[in-house]
Amino acid sequence: MLKKYIISFLFVFLQYLVASQNAAAIDYKAYGFIQPEITTFFNGDGRHDQSNSNQSIFVKGTFITYLNNGDQKITINTTGRIDEKDSERSYIDFQKFKYEQYFDDITLKIGNELIFWGVNESFNIVDIINQSNLAEDISGTKKFGQPMISLNYNHSYGNFDLFIMPFFKERVFPGRNGRPRLALEVDKSTVAYESSSKKNKIDAAVRYSTVYDDYDIGIAHFYGNNRSPELNVNPLSQKLDAYYPILSQTSLDIQSTKGAWLYKLETLTAENGEERHFGIAGGTEYTIYGLRETTSDLGIIVEYTFDDRNDFAFNNEGVLALRWTKNDIKSTSLLAGLVADMSGSSNRFFAEFEQRIRDDLKVFIDMSINGEIDADDFTYAFEEDSQLKLKIAKYF
Amino acid sequence: MKFAKIIFIIFALFPFYLSAETAEEQGLRIAKASYENGRGFTDMVSDQLMILIDPKGNEVTREVSGKTLENLDPNDGDKSLTYFKTPKDVEGTVMLSHTHISDDDDQWLYLPALGRVKRISSSNKSGAFMGSEVAFEDFSGTDYRKYEWKFLGEEMENNETFYKLESYPNYENSGYSKRISLIDNLNRTYKVDFYDRKGELLKTLYLEDYVLYKDKIWMANTMKVENIQNKNITIFKWLNRELDVGINKKDFEKSSILRLAD
Repeated sequence: MLKKYIISFLFVFLQYLVASQNAAAIDYKAYGFIQPEITTFFNGDGRHDQSNSNQSIFVKGTFITYLNNGDQKITINTTGRIDEKDSERSYIDFQKFKYEQYFDDITLKIGNELIFWGVNESFNIVDIINQSNLAEDISGTKKFGQPMISLNYNHSYGNFDLFIMPFFKERVFPGRNGRPRLALEVDKSTVAYESSSKKNKIDAAVRYSTVYDDYDIGIAHFYGNNRSPELNVNPLSQKLDAYYPILSQTSLDIQSTKGAWLYKLETLTAENGEERHFGIAGGTEYTIYGLRETTSDLGIIVEYTFDDRNDFAFNNEGVLALRWTKNDIKSTSLLAGLVADMSGSSNRFFAEFEQRIRDDLKVFIDMSINGEIDADDFTYAFEEDSQLKLKIAKYF
Repeated sequence: MKFAKIIFIIFALFPFYLSAETAEEQGLRIAKASYENGRGFTDMVSDQLMILIDPKGNEVTREVSGKTLENLDPNDGDKSLTYFKTPKDVEGTVMLSHTHISDDDDQWLYLPALGRVKRISSSNKSGAFMGSEVAFEDFSGTDYRKYEWKFLGEEMENNETFYKLESYPNYENSGYSKRISLIDNLNRTYKVDFYDRKGELLKTLYLEDYVLYKDKIWMANTMKVENIQNKNITIFKWLNRELDVGINKKDFEKSSILRLAD
């Protein structure tokens, strides 16, 4: 309820700000795209009786305006989807709906924001501010906007950020008809928290980041509701009960850029509820420019992640991928690779192709093929979900 | 008396020095003068149009806008910030470059689709900029110190006399074995022939629409690149170029990319 009031207030405030400007002088950018998608699954109907096909429409819209000679900025960035099969996958989210005020060395930010921390291509273990939308993408890389008040201080020694985050958002999981989905449904009525303020707990984070020569370095600490809940089978309902512990996480991320070689490292130590854990993820990316005297480039990406929790889903995983970019007018590119649990219990091949087919049209073809997965691996639920997805984006 | 003697000696030696300038020294001197012709702008904003034309005559236009901060330290490179407007799928992309004279440049890229700022490798010297015939090194490699120079003589073209210079990149990963430049008597570059790694003519760059800014700085507002091998043409136009507008140095820091980002 309070959240609604604040959003309404922010909306009126922004309208006031815009209206107070000389109407003719308002300079804004507005753009976006609409993207129909078709998915077909190779193995017929799913393990949980899901359909062998799906259709979906994804939209994204962006509006930016600068006021008072660029001292203030308003950003609205909205994403949404209508999904044929999975009601959990139909949503609208204000990923960014923020007002920024720029002072000499300080930036004040109020509103919804997406904050990315980390350097890796695949295992972004230190990225913690925003909640994941697993219905949108089971990998967890698609996030919801997080309401916040944030201050940034830009000093010659580096950048200091402070984030105060009210209004925790629960993780969204694929619904009953979602494909892929977890073996059991997540019960939305039994969500529990370690914090007595539950979802009204105000989370906080600080980060220091700097560039030193070839190194981009970030050190951060987060204290608040863990974005990732523990999921426990409820024997009565045969659903998963979500429990959000309090997370106190300290992290470090470093990228070193040495010519065509990029070296990446993310590491963290965290107290999650009663237990402390340690995680590390990193790797390297090497790019061959002008492959065989053509204009195309080939990047080779190797990354690995380790977590000392035995029951953690990604405690020993590796990725080997190739990224081919043709550098042509159509921006043709292909990313393909293998994700494997190094203990041998699961593996997956993926390929993502994209090409601009007209100035305002782009086609994407994504393929994902699962290898044999052990029954005790949590990704066993997705084993039958090998798929081919065609997406066409029309830009405005 | 002693003073007059010194003057006499200097005058006596002067012609000797002139004749003693080697082709390399003369080339370097002209290249340096030509480079310094475009210096002293402090900072610059502009919109840029890039027109890509294929051998069949099909045209596409790309739009970017940018800011540049001149590095007053003569031993380090300039900083630039580029904002991409079209094609529409890359709208909102921001690129920040800190160029260096003897070292690899530092580059960061913000991609709206990823929503993150990435440090990227800048060793991609010979790569094509946005599918054009312009390579990254054509932008970052304008400093005369990135090449070895040699004066080849004077050459007539379109009833005008030009200095003809040969240059070889002295940085790694260049796509060129050499360049042949024609420079006019105002030290403005008129034309550059680029030879590929095999030594064959790859492309010709024409610099046109020179405008004199602040009564001392010559800048070409049109750049035309004709690829001899694949027959593609790229035309680069600078629009609304303004110099010395007083841009904050902090706009060129990594953390400022997010002020431009969506």
